[in-house]
Amino acid sequence: MAREKFITDYRQDMRIIRTRPQRVWAILITVLLVGLPFLLNNGWTAPLNFPWVAWLTVLNLSLTAIIGAAAFNLLVGNTGQVSLAHAGLLIFGTIISGLFGPLWGWNFWIVLPLTMITGALAGVVIALPALRLKGLYLLLATLGIYYFAYFVYKWFLVRNFGFIPIIYSFPSIPEWFPWLNEGEGGLAINNNFRWYWTILPITALSLLFMSNVIRTSEGRAFAAVKARDTASSLVGVSPVKSKLLVFMVSSAFVSMSGALQSYFLSAREEASYPFQTTLDYAIMIVLGGFSSILGAVFGALFFYGAPVWIDWIRQETPILRDINFLYSYKSEINLAVFGFLIVFVLVRSPDGLSGAWKRVKSYFAKWPYSL
Amino acid sequence: MMERFITLLASGLSLGAVYALVSLGFVLVFKSTRVLNLAMGEFLMIGTYIGYFLITHLGLPFIPALLIVAAVMGSLGLFVHYGVMRNLVGRPFFAIVLVTIGIAIIIRGIILVVAGPIERPRMQGLSSNIVNIGGAQVEIYNFIILGAALVLVLGFYLFFRSSRLGLHMRAVAENLQASSAMGISPDRIYALAWFISLAMAGAGGVFFGHYTAAIDLNIAAIGIRAAPAAIVGGLDSVEGAIVGGLIVGTLEQMGAGYFGADYRDIIPFLILTIMLYVKPAGLFGSPELVRI
Repeated sequence: MAREKFITDYRQDMRIIRTRPQRVWAILITVLLVGLPFLLNNGWTAPLNFPWVAWLTVLNLSLTAIIGAAAFNLLVGNTGQVSLAHAGLLIFGTIISGLFGPLWGWNFWIVLPLTMITGALAGVVIALPALRLKGLYLLLATLGIYYFAYFVYKWFLVRNFGFIPIIYSFPSIPEWFPWLNEGEGGLAINNNFRWYWTILPITALSLLFMSNVIRTSEGRAFAAVKARDTASSLVGVSPVKSKLLVFMVSSAFVSMSGALQSYFLSAREEASYPFQTTLDYAIMIVLGGFSSILGAVFGALFFYGAPVWIDWIRQETPILRDINFLYSYKSEINLAVFGFLIVFVLVRSPDGLSGAWKRVKSYFAKWPYSL
Repeated sequence: MMERFITLLASGLSLGAVYALVSLGFVLVFKSTRVLNLAMGEFLMIGTYIGYFLITHLGLPFIPALLIVAAVMGSLGLFVHYGVMRNLVGRPFFAIVLVTIGIAIIIRGIILVVAGPIERPRMQGLSSNIVNIGGAQVEIYNFIILGAALVLVLGFYLFFRSSRLGLHMRAVAENLQASSAMGISPDRIYALAWFISLAMAGAGGVFFGHYTAAIDLNIAAIGIRAAPAAIVGGLDSVEGAIVGGLIVGTLEQMGAGYFGADYRDIIPFLILTIMLYVKPAGLFGSPELVRI
């Protein structure tokens, strides 16, 4: 293990990127994140007819979902507060953004922080059962939150929009902003490429914030509450404060990701949030891996990417291409595949994709000895 | 006014009977294996679809169809236990809940492939003659469902209280180590719990297929709405499941009837929230003792 350096002072200990391999990865990922959309946007034809065009949408959707999945993971994985209120909070974000955005005509850049603030307040309300209940009682109590939120959502839609969907207009970067000036009305964020550059910084900042939260004393307190909340109160952690805080942070980000997703998809209707939505995020964090930011990233990318990928394999493989059955039931088959994957991952390797990734890394790091 | 009340009460009670069956399935698995099965609605849905196939397509009478569905679903329960759940003993409970969610997703996918998303009319295996009670017109199948569900539940209760296997089940639920030291195989008891639980879900599915307006994927919501019924009665109480099911079903039907169908989804959860605040252990459940 000569390559692993020991930490010698506090500054080193507080770095997010600590080792040289991590630095190399960070640079590679940054180059990829910056370069990929240019490739995708310039109509680069990939080998084997890989559907790159669809990928920019997939990337944007996953980037919005990553925020939600990471926040969900912070709550469920890091603090052990098993909550199924997730879809309810996405709905909440949509309601708030629909109210201030399309209805009252506020600017996107004001609405977005607003959904975070109101989301944090909603988090306090959701946390109230968590102060009394835990484990499966909490799970069942939060299950209802989706239904309450959906009820309000339907009422909100019918009252303000009738039976047509909420239409979000494209946000724009204001005229006074340097470099990005497109004249009258500013630069409208109206295609996938521009959306990518809007969503990417938001996602990156959110992830940075959440990973920093985990590193602070509050984050340690969350872990203590997860391990055993009564015992943690004996060592000076206030479980009430921790629970309130984690629900606030998580709800703020989930609500914001709901609003962001609504703006990106530009239309939201009654059928946009079926009960399945909660399960979708559960799929993401299970397949990605519990209690890690990386898990949320992997999970969301996999959740939105896998259908496109499976579709591509189906179209390009000679025998599968001719089976009509696979084509006409593609979304149903995807659903069943996700179900199988969840069961398989939980039974066989509970740490999901991020755990598998760690194993691959450690295999190569210790290479001659890991055979 | 009174007629409306009686109609709603009758249909509420038969809905409650379905809830009672489903929440009994919940409680049974939870009591013995500590698994919260969130796929209950999907299992019920399988029961409904098989029942629909047997009754509407093959023209089987009600009782043989019910028995076949219960047997098929029971075997599925054995498969779920031996194939999946047995590997998960000792895992954190949220992981196990997520596994049941995974199973629910698989079932949804498979049913969409096999049966498609089309709505189907309700089954006609039971008489839908109308009886007149105090001026209210009530279809007779409401009473048949209520009666049949109560017979099933009572049969199970007798089995649970006075048969040897029932005794074993109670022993395993009460003290796993002691009962396995006395020669009871917990594994087989768990399998039995899954068998009975899914058979109940299947029977509930056949009943619900006669009750609902249309058979499609939405009927899986029954499983989610039966969770409040289980909580109201107490998660580890067999009697409670029945009472809770009837209470929640009746209140839901009344609420939907008087306030509008939009309220249907939230009423069970309102009851649940109130119950969790007032008495988390439920009406008949034993309060959970937590070790620090």
